Amino acid sequence: MDVASPLLPATPQAEEIARLFYVDLVIAGVIFVVVAGLVATVIIRNRKRSPDDLPVQNFGSETLEWTWTIIPVMIVTGLFVYTMKVMHEVDPKPVGREADVEIIAHQWWWEVHYHPSGAVTANEIHLPVGRDLLFQVRSADVIHDFWVPALGQKVDAIPNHPNYAWYDVDKPGTYLGTCAEFCGAEHAWMRIRVIAQPVPAFGFWVEEQLLDARPPTGSAAKAGAALFAKHTCMNCHSIRGTPANGDIGPDLTHLASRQTLAAGVFRNTPENLMKWVSDPQKYKPGSHMPTMDLRRQSFENIVAYLEELK
Amino acid sequence: MNGGTHRPTGPETIWDVPEYRGLLSWVTSVDHKQIGIMYLLAAGSFFLVGLFEALLMRTQLIRPENNWLSPETYNQIFTMHGTTMIFLVIVPSLLGFSMYFVPLMIGARDVAFPRLNAFGFWITVLGGLLLYFSFWAGGAPAAGWFAYTPLSEKAYSYSTGQDYWALALLAIGVGTVAAAINIIVTVVTLRVPGMTMRRLPLFVWMTFVNAFLIILAMPALNASLVMLLADRDLNALFFEPQAGASELLWQNYFWFFGHPEVYIMILPGFGMISEVIPVFSRKTIYGYGFMALSTVAIAFLSFGVWVHHMFATGLGFPIYYIFAGASMLIAVPTGVKIFNWIATMWGGNIQFSTAMLFATAFIVQFTVGGLTGVTFAAVPIDWQLTDTYFVVAHFHYTLFGGGLFALFAAIYYWFPKMTGRMLSEKLGKAHFWLILIGFNTTFFVMHPLGLLGMPRRVFTYPDLPYLGLLNEVSTIGAYILATSILVFIVNVVYSLRQGRLAGANPWKGWTLEWIANSPPAVENFAFVPPVRSRRPLWDLEHPDDPDWKHEGGA
Amino acid sequence: MSSALTEKNKLAILLFLVSEAVFFVLLIVAYVTYHLRQGNGPTASNSLNIVKTGVFSAFLFASSYTVWRAGLSFQAGNRSWKALAWLAVTIAFGLIFLVGQGLEYSDLIRHHVTISRDLFGTTFFTLTGFHGLHVSVGLIMLTVVLWIAGRSGMRKPKPAAVEVVSYYWHFVDAVWVFIFGVVYLWAFVG
Ligand code: HEA
Ligand code: HEA
Ligand code: HEC
Ligand code: CUA
Ligand SMILES: [Cu+2]
Repeated sequence: MDVASPLLPATPQAEEIARLFYVDLVIAGVIFVVVAGLVATVIIRNRKRSPDDLPVQNFGSETLEWTWTIIPVMIVTGLFVYTMKVMHEVDPKPVGREADVEIIAHQWWWEVHYHPSGAVTANEIHLPVGRDLLFQVRSADVIHDFWVPALGQKVDAIPNHPNYAWYDVDKPGTYLGTCAEFCGAEHAWMRIRVIAQPVPAFGFWVEEQLLDARPPTGSAAKAGAALFAKHTCMNCHSIRGTPANGDIGPDLTHLASRQTLAAGVFRNTPENLMKWVSDPQKYKPGSHMPTMDLRRQSFENIVAYLEELK
Repeated sequence: MNGGTHRPTGPETIWDVPEYRGLLSWVTSVDHKQIGIMYLLAAGSFFLVGLFEALLMRTQLIRPENNWLSPETYNQIFTMHGTTMIFLVIVPSLLGFSMYFVPLMIGARDVAFPRLNAFGFWITVLGGLLLYFSFWAGGAPAAGWFAYTPLSEKAYSYSTGQDYWALALLAIGVGTVAAAINIIVTVVTLRVPGMTMRRLPLFVWMTFVNAFLIILAMPALNASLVMLLADRDLNALFFEPQAGASELLWQNYFWFFGHPEVYIMILPGFGMISEVIPVFSRKTIYGYGFMALSTVAIAFLSFGVWVHHMFATGLGFPIYYIFAGASMLIAVPTGVKIFNWIATMWGGNIQFSTAMLFATAFIVQFTVGGLTGVTFAAVPIDWQLTDTYFVVAHFHYTLFGGGLFALFAAIYYWFPKMTGRMLSEKLGKAHFWLILIGFNTTFFVMHPLGLLGMPRRVFTYPDLPYLGLLNEVSTIGAYILATSILVFIVNVVYSLRQGRLAGANPWKGWTLEWIANSPPAVENFAFVPPVRSRRPLWDLEHPDDPDWKHEGGA
Repeated sequence: MSSALTEKNKLAILLFLVSEAVFFVLLIVAYVTYHLRQGNGPTASNSLNIVKTGVFSAFLFASSYTVWRAGLSFQAGNRSWKALAWLAVTIAFGLIFLVGQGLEYSDLIRHHVTISRDLFGTTFFTLTGFHGLHVSVGLIMLTVVLWIAGRSGMRKPKPAAVEVVSYYWHFVDAVWVFIFGVVYLWAFVG
């Protein structure tokens, strides 16, 4: 199922946090029942009184006051100690080690780099299962936040302030996430898709990503490649193995191997790619890719080219 | 001197208010009661605007992948909704009640600085108008109510709306500080003889402490805004990443203001609840001393918790420990209040007037909001839940289920004093039940929404399991809420003309405002009875068993 | 009952100044934050002239004394025309300070150190600019007192009003002590 919840963890880190949440939920539940129960009791006991009945005037009791001061102090102390323990388990210091995955947040898409392989992708993050993975999260413009609930903690992407997190995925699967810090017009469509694979499958994927783009084969694709180079596309996008090496938009070298387009707006189908390339401002208004004024045939050719970039 | 009656205390100069009639008498007024009512009316109007914005948001969110509102529009609307509700609704309406009732409750004839009072009100209105003017000046601000940099910088928010936003908040900030100074000086210098600090009604106590919070917290907002404006309009570099600036500077400064601000929005509400519950339980407040001291404790702690809004920024552990610990500790003095209110009701003869219904619901709903607050204070949980609808649920439970319910309790309680007429209890109860159902329907489902991974501040969301369903429920709740507000407005309009005449003391209250006429004369009282305890009117009614015989310790 | 009135105004101005103090503390903290991470552009130590500013600052510090003397001469009992002289000197000292600040600014701007040059420029101009603004407001208030006192033949204003203004002036002065310490002395020493 496609539920992205902190309560459906796929890493030991997320699991610890879920456990802390349940403990907190029980504490809160008990306190709520006590408070609501007392209020309900008062209301029920009050029912049969005449309006003129004057109750005993009770000014207070120090014993009671200290009781309901000390008991909460003890509860929160317990919670605090447990909190510290979980913090340490979930978020140990990233000492002396290069990040395995480097995430650079952009308005409104994610740039992903793998170390040491050097693979590059966007919006979709493939991960090997069963490894201790260190993530570094940075921002290219405003503040964003990298959040995949099944993996664990959120990490703010802040300019001039790289952040780190550990995620040791232990179950293969697809996990959804999203940008979780308001970052402007298209904050809603800055989704993340994590695909956790067994190590061999992951290795295979990395190999593929490292290859240069295949040269276009069909005639439409060839025309598309020429258009891509001629028009401004290449100022913003990279396609390795071609002169296109822009870094404003996502790397398109293996675009066709991704499941979604434009950070979750579309599933990656030829029709949707056509919609996107011909009028991004219609489907993601405010996005930093302009709507280009080309003939329909040209767009079809470009799409044909992009569709070959497996 | 404690024995006899007194003239009300007041500013020595008699402010010779010219005898205007009609609208002009309001516009030129320096009378604390008129200004108090104007605060409430202004807040009420902005309230309707904020409500309208909320309904737009909820309508947009009713189903997934909805494109009814464009993202830019939605972002402007939630920014304006948040800014309006906080700066133009909750704070001004609390100030309105403070301005109206603090002098009455301490036996004074007016606040210490009547002209300053008028200034504070009008500059707040000016701020509100500036904020809304932005719609006509190229678009409303759209960076959220805490306007994180660099998003709120010119490079990313080019519209002048963001400048209007900053100027508006500066104006409102100045007005709020002026009001706070006025409240403190009034309480310190204008108490009628006999009204010692330990006999102050709790509403006055909490308003008083609140005023200190305002004075210490507001300048942090002003400093942040000034830096933002310098960046935007003078090309300064405070928050310019390329110049090596720290984006966390803005967050630290904003939340150094922002967290105390949330208590600024609740402490007077605590005070209102502390007035309503004893009167309708026919008992004195339980544990007065602990109530007063816990307020001070909350105020102190509230300056040491701001980083809990920044747990995902990577500031590091030692800092998180301190702020997580303080955030959890603040549950303790708040709990003291909850338990004392219940103890006041315990064994009391409870009269479930509409005001009391709101106060009772307040206790339960605020506890829910408080408990989710403590949930965030457990840092790793916040790492998962920050910036999701779980947070939206938390702060609507505290601000709405708490703050706004307290305000409604106060409106039903004090409306007779302010207007001379009772609000209809029948319509009042309809209003109460509708708002209770509407509120919990709208906002309770936001907890599971957050847990299902729905981030806040999104104009739409993908069609994932349950998200559509829960959002639909929430939207239906919002419409129930809106209906309840209609009932309330009908009630006010109807009662102003047809309501039962109230008389001086319809609820048999015990604090000084209830011996004044309803509505009070220009000078408030001819004479103030002797004040020898916290309930001077009780002492008058029960000469055989006056409170001052009992009020020693707690 | 006029003592209550005095009390009232004093209390109000003190509360106001507390609020102002928080404001300045935060601007100073912003300065310090960025001072600690300064790059290789202009900084306090390579752009400011501590001696020159020190001399001008001395005038501002001295004006705290003169305003105090002015206040004494407004007190009931020993009200005297001397007050006008002390006030005039205070105003003059304040003006000299502002002139000094003006010279410093134009000097910096001539060397292309502006509010948008780097983080030093940003924090320096904002901090000292706001202080200068406060000095100007103080000067206006002092001038009003001087004018009222002169026109009414020293019958007005009340000592309390003078006291409120002088509180404000002392505050502006005290803020400068901190700014001078943090911005100038620190650059000079470290
Ligand atoms: C009236 C306003 C109000 C009030 C009173 C509170 C009260 C509290 N708040 Fe809340 N808060 C907000 C308004 C408020 N908050 C707003 C507006 C935001 C969002 C800002 C934004 O991002 O837009 C926010 C966000 C917010 C966050 C950041 C969440 C995030 O963005 O990630 C946190 C984190 O710690 C927090 C904590 C708390 C705590 C610990 C309390 C405590 O004071 C609660 C104490 C009360 C109780 C706990 C209940 C009663 C106590 C008992 C019955 C005793 C027994 C209890 C125990 C032993 C636990 N709040
Ligand atoms: C007191 C504060 C307050 C109140 C009352 C409300 C009321 C409501 N809020 Fe609001 N809300 C905020 C404070 C408040 N909100 C804040 C601070 C934010 C964050 C903004 C941000 O992220 O920047 C927010 C954000 C927010 C969001 C999240 C937006 C997002 O993240 O995308 C949503 C979504 O549903 C929402 C919904 C609602 C709804 C349906 C109501 C409705 O229940 C509204 C119903 C209205 C009323 C019941 C009031 C009408 C009353 C009168 C007219 C009475 C007249 C009064 C007098 C005479 C005195 N709010
Ligand atoms: C001015 C910069 C710019 C130009 C020119 C530009 N793009 Fe883009 N492009 C972007 C940005 C930025 C995004 C990411 C948009 C988002 O998701 O918000 C993007 C996204 C895309 C995507 C989706 C990538 C993904 O991983 O989902 C495709 C495909 C694409 N562009 C193709 C093109 C083509 C084809 C052209 C030329 C006709 C083009 N772009 C021209 C900036 C540009
Ligand atoms: Cu990126 Cu929100
Ligand atoms: Cu807070």
